[in-house]
Amino acid sequence: MKITFHFLFLLTLSALAFGVDHCVAAEGPAKDYTFFEKKIRPLLVKHCYECHSASAGENEGGLYLDSRQGWKTGGDSGPSIVPGKPKQSLLIKAIGYKDPDLQMPPDGKLSAVEIKALKKWIIGGASDPRKGKSAKHNKSPKIDLVKARQFWSFQKPKKHKAPKVANTKWAKDDLDRFILARLEAKGLQPAPQVSREKLIRRLYFDLIGLPPTRKQIAFFVNNKHPLAVERLVDRLLASKQFGERWGRHWLDVARFAETSGGGRSLIFKNAWRYRDYVIDAFNNDKPYNEFVQQQICGDLLPFNSPEQRREQIIASGFLSLGPTNYELQDKETLRVEVVDEQIDTIGRTFLGMTIGCARCHDHKFDPIPTKDYYALAGILGSTKSLVRGNVSKFIERQLPRIKNNVEYDKLVQSTDALKKQVQEHKQRKLQLAQIIKKRSPNIAVAKKDKPRAVAQLPGVVVDDVHSERKGTWYHSTFSPNHVGKGYLHDKKEKLGSKSITFRPNLTKAGQYEVFIAYNAAPSRASKVPVTILHAQGEKKLYLNQRRPPQNDQLFYSLGQYRFDKGTKGSVTLSNKAADGYVIADAVQFLPIELPKKIKKKQPLNRTIKLSTAAKKQLSQTRTELAKLSNKIKQLEKVLKKQQSRLKGFTEKAMSVQEETKPSDWHLLIRGVVRNRGPLVPRGFLSVVETTNQIKIPKNESGRRQLATWLTSRENPLPSRVIVNRLWHHLFGKGLVPTTDNFGATGQQPSHPKLLDTLAVDFMNDHWSMKRLIRRIVLSKSYQMSVIDNSRAKLLDPQNHLIWSRNRRRLEAEVIRDSMLLISGQLDQTAGGSTYRGKSEYGYQFNSRRRSVYVPVLRNARHDLFSVFDFPNPNLVVGHRTTSVVSTQALYFMNSPFVQQQSNQAAKELLKNNNQSNQARLVRVYFEVLGRKPSSVEKKIIAEYLSDQSISAEQRWTQIYHVLFASIDFRYVN
Amino acid sequence: MENFYQPATSRRSMLQQLACGFGSVALAGLCQDSMQAAKQSTLNIKKTHHQPRAKRIIFIFMQGGPSHVDSFDYKPKLVAGDGKSYETVGVRSGDFGKLKKLMLVKPLWKFRQYGKSGHWVSDLFPHIAKHVDDLCFLHGLHTNGVAHGPTTLFMHTGATNLIRPSVGAWVNYGLGSENNNLPGFITICPSAANGGPRNYSNAFLPEAYQGTALGEAGLPAVKATIRHIRNQKLNAKQQRRQLDLLQKINQAQMAQTEKNQTLESVIQSFELAYRMQAAAPKVMNLANESKATLKSYGIGEKSTNDFGRQCLMARRFSEAGVRYVQITYGDNGSNPKWDQHSNMPKHADHAKATDKPVAGLLADLKARGLLEDTLVWWGGEFGRTPFGQGKTGRDHNPLGFTMFLAGGGTKPGFSYGETDEIGHKAIMNKVHMHDLHATLLHLMGIDHKKLTYRFAGRDFRLTDVHGRVIRDIMA
Repeated sequence: MKITFHFLFLLTLSALAFGVDHCVAAEGPAKDYTFFEKKIRPLLVKHCYECHSASAGENEGGLYLDSRQGWKTGGDSGPSIVPGKPKQSLLIKAIGYKDPDLQMPPDGKLSAVEIKALKKWIIGGASDPRKGKSAKHNKSPKIDLVKARQFWSFQKPKKHKAPKVANTKWAKDDLDRFILARLEAKGLQPAPQVSREKLIRRLYFDLIGLPPTRKQIAFFVNNKHPLAVERLVDRLLASKQFGERWGRHWLDVARFAETSGGGRSLIFKNAWRYRDYVIDAFNNDKPYNEFVQQQICGDLLPFNSPEQRREQIIASGFLSLGPTNYELQDKETLRVEVVDEQIDTIGRTFLGMTIGCARCHDHKFDPIPTKDYYALAGILGSTKSLVRGNVSKFIERQLPRIKNNVEYDKLVQSTDALKKQVQEHKQRKLQLAQIIKKRSPNIAVAKKDKPRAVAQLPGVVVDDVHSERKGTWYHSTFSPNHVGKGYLHDKKEKLGSKSITFRPNLTKAGQYEVFIAYNAAPSRASKVPVTILHAQGEKKLYLNQRRPPQNDQLFYSLGQYRFDKGTKGSVTLSNKAADGYVIADAVQFLPIELPKKIKKKQPLNRTIKLSTAAKKQLSQTRTELAKLSNKIKQLEKVLKKQQSRLKGFTEKAMSVQEETKPSDWHLLIRGVVRNRGPLVPRGFLSVVETTNQIKIPKNESGRRQLATWLTSRENPLPSRVIVNRLWHHLFGKGLVPTTDNFGATGQQPSHPKLLDTLAVDFMNDHWSMKRLIRRIVLSKSYQMSVIDNSRAKLLDPQNHLIWSRNRRRLEAEVIRDSMLLISGQLDQTAGGSTYRGKSEYGYQFNSRRRSVYVPVLRNARHDLFSVFDFPNPNLVVGHRTTSVVSTQALYFMNSPFVQQQSNQAAKELLKNNNQSNQARLVRVYFEVLGRKPSSVEKKIIAEYLSDQSISAEQRWTQIYHVLFASIDFRYVN
Repeated sequence: MENFYQPATSRRSMLQQLACGFGSVALAGLCQDSMQAAKQSTLNIKKTHHQPRAKRIIFIFMQGGPSHVDSFDYKPKLVAGDGKSYETVGVRSGDFGKLKKLMLVKPLWKFRQYGKSGHWVSDLFPHIAKHVDDLCFLHGLHTNGVAHGPTTLFMHTGATNLIRPSVGAWVNYGLGSENNNLPGFITICPSAANGGPRNYSNAFLPEAYQGTALGEAGLPAVKATIRHIRNQKLNAKQQRRQLDLLQKINQAQMAQTEKNQTLESVIQSFELAYRMQAAAPKVMNLANESKATLKSYGIGEKSTNDFGRQCLMARRFSEAGVRYVQITYGDNGSNPKWDQHSNMPKHADHAKATDKPVAGLLADLKARGLLEDTLVWWGGEFGRTPFGQGKTGRDHNPLGFTMFLAGGGTKPGFSYGETDEIGHKAIMNKVHMHDLHATLLHLMGIDHKKLTYRFAGRDFRLTDVHGRVIRDIMA
């Protein structure tokens, strides 16, 4: 009675919902909480409170079970209990342990009694006296976009007028005035101009990543031309080494690698094309907006030439280069995680936004609601990045050919001719087969045919009734053409699980011809596996049951075999991978030397008598047919070879494709793959507004529109982010030090107006990166020297205001390339595939190419790279770590690489016999450090050189070694 | 004593150790976000969150998935049900969510009871069996992933696919190193496959916390050493001379520049490296171990020599203050050592190769009093199915399997958790891999919810938003 009452009572309340607090209403005196107190509360305390209670704090699902309001509001997936409706209650679903993604409590299923009690309680209306305020729902307050747009990085950049400065002589560019004004405001002065000798070294390393030679230094230092610096800079910017240096910076944020890493690491054998694309883009000064668009949707962009098409497809490989664990068995999770990786990378690389944070909940610091994440997820989810499989694969697309290649063209021609020939032959073959069919008398016989009695057949016949069967075989007499009382078939079901064995009891050992009986039809399987167990072993072959058997339209010869006496031999058919019905009728074992009388009595080939002429004609046709078949076989062999050679000419690149049915994505609650919330229309970050709303057509993924949005002048982020990246690489620190994070958890710009002005100028200058780099390096701010300034240090210890140049450690690649250049070992070949390995394991990094061409493998790194902070290729790294660790010292002290380069350099040095040690030392210093030795250094080394116990080569090897290890080599002024 | 390593060092030097890690002299510029976070977090964890039970961890990784139903999880019903048909839902990509009919296969080895605890152990592990009263068995393990790669990564980093730091990196980030001349996280002969280096990677934590690999799977343990620890060309005297020259040159160069902490650190790094060159080989040198010790690890016996060396090195490194040592019985294949899909009897070879060495390690740690504060963790990335695969194999089983812990504050002679009556799924006192990670950190004095690192705008932790500390297994 009570139960019903409660139930109705609650229903009424919900139906009316006139604002009365359910709790209050339901707490009327009519309530009986005995059941709850006796059975439910202890159960909840024991199994649930550890995580789902106020005292446990915030938990994974946001659900609280220590108050009624707690389960009413529920967690992220909504109310946890629907009173009266256990089937609709998530709690019941969770404790049912049926859904693999929702099983509670985590340490084991509740007992049947407990589950029953909970169900009973819910059916009864789930009366619950617990008040408590722990129903605090941890949904963060709604993001206020209007307010959020006040944050510096979401405001559109404006060009600012250069500030007034006291020292009017110093500045060369407006950008200097922005720097100087801030310094003057603090009563500081910029550091003096750096010396020519140091400037050329700085420019070489910053622009091309290699040291200048002694000659180049001398020429520049002595060049009095007023445009000497400009000329040097222009020469460096025009060299192919520029792209190799700056392309590598981009590869850091593109998390470029040539293997997938993860569980079963897959090789990206065409990733090098993307690397070369990036290098070329920097060398050709591809406008940054175009550069971005091609990487997001290159495969969808219009093109005028095969060259352009190729380039654009290759660029889109950006999306598929990520660290993906293709082996993940839950393929839905895999798909979601690939999309997640792409969103995270796009966000940080182009926007300086940590969008990935919004996968499970609204971003805690930035105005990125979860729905924005899924708006983007819809776009990338409508983009195909995966070929599904046990180990899935990334997408590769064929590239259009560009060059006219004579060899290739010839091959195409001859292949086409061959194909045509084969086709003609096949047609003729078909004609001949029809002629034979018409003239051959067997068909008529077969049609009229009747079942043949076993007793009438010669040899030993095992009919289907005496067979050994695995799985169910079905009896049939549909075709009268059979042995005995019928035949069996597999009903085309449970493929691979059925087989049937015919085992004769032979009275005599000897040679037998084995015939299998079946009636042919187009509905039969064309490749039935047959196993013949004979005295000498086992023979496996395939039987085409669509083709009528040659003897009598019923018997097909499986060949001749030796059999022992008894039941050891057998013939087995299986329905493994069958593409039609498998028929099992009978098997006939015919001794090769047949007794004469049987032969006479029962001829095997019951052909109708033909005239001699007709026979001759038929036989001629048959011969022709046989010859033709042979010919076709031969031609097809050649064709196959040619086609595989042609394949060698096809070039592929990593890319993505549009999904056939683009669609919006569901919001995934707490980011859990099978926990679907509402559909979210595809779109972009809502905090960024554009005047004309960019709409995504139904039949497109939205990548084109994403690219447009990402490079819109109205989007405040991309131009600032890239300008800051360029600044970072030239100053060692960005105007915004957190290069990949322009959100609330990132740092604010040190010179916001300068950053904005540069960003606007950059867009106005057609997004040219090269021209901005040129502008910066020609500025006075860039050309300051490294100084000690105790007053400045006190006021601005981090040098945010740029009162001095920051001394910079060379990156791993520059250290390696410089040593190779100095030892004369550097191979400056540009571009192309450099990794052809089959596995990362044990890969030997022996290349002498520039470091940008050294394969980047996710599971194996060059020793030097791993100690000198080469970025983790699994992550977007706009700002590399520069650590000082003793493994670096160990590397310099003991690695064979440094020893070899030192030795090679010494050998080069000693090729000139006539030089004095002093002259040699100057040469070595210029090579390694770009300067003369100081008098102190000269003295120290002279002492060392006086040791005659080791050879000159050994001595100079050690001097090179020591200088490579010295701080002036690794740290540039 | 509030903090177990505090008395030995001054507060200042301790902070330095915490902030840096192995051989790290200065971290001039940490990666961007973490710059502040490193300051925050590392300093925040200058003390452990609570009284630690263990100072260090030795993780014995049995790669490929040893079968729990054939070793430590005795199921009489499985013996009785041999050959019977069994229905379950597929977890592989080919049969995901589909109902499958399979055949139960009884354990291939006989089980016996051992020790006071009377724990059942099969004849695969007769040596480890003698130590059951020191072990704390977890029978209700379950984990994420099904294939080796994702599951192995999950076990090591708490994620099947996403890029996350390894357990050892987190522990070192949290606690720092006890020995400045040795890395705080050493992994001996790690596998290059199934995640390879990602299994000991620092990911986004500072480089100083990454695992230092000694050798690699497939290479004899005797050859496992720290990269570039030895100079192949110069003898000690020559090298000292060269180093003196270098340091003189460095000092001369320093004199020409402004005062610079980083450059000073570089100079120091060479001295530290030179000391390491002397210290590390001493720890790795087994020559001074007694014959009896070597024998107890199976060193010198053909089948156990290699893993015995790994086990003994693990003890020596732990003794020298290395915070986290991993040893691996594995290889570089896609079907690693314990992965017997088609040939379960081969388990016997792997058991033979590891049983005695592990038992030797347990005995040795105990005899030296090290087991008190050294947490030993034994296990594979998953277990194997109670039903058969092909004629004589078993498939992966991430739904329920067994691991054991020893020492470091765990209950000795104790078993926690259960799989169902045939050993397929964990049903009682289940321990998810996240829970195990949380528990390991807890035993080391770290609250898994508080050990965070800010990267890319988020505070990351080893257990993500999961993990429960299993207090019931603590002594």
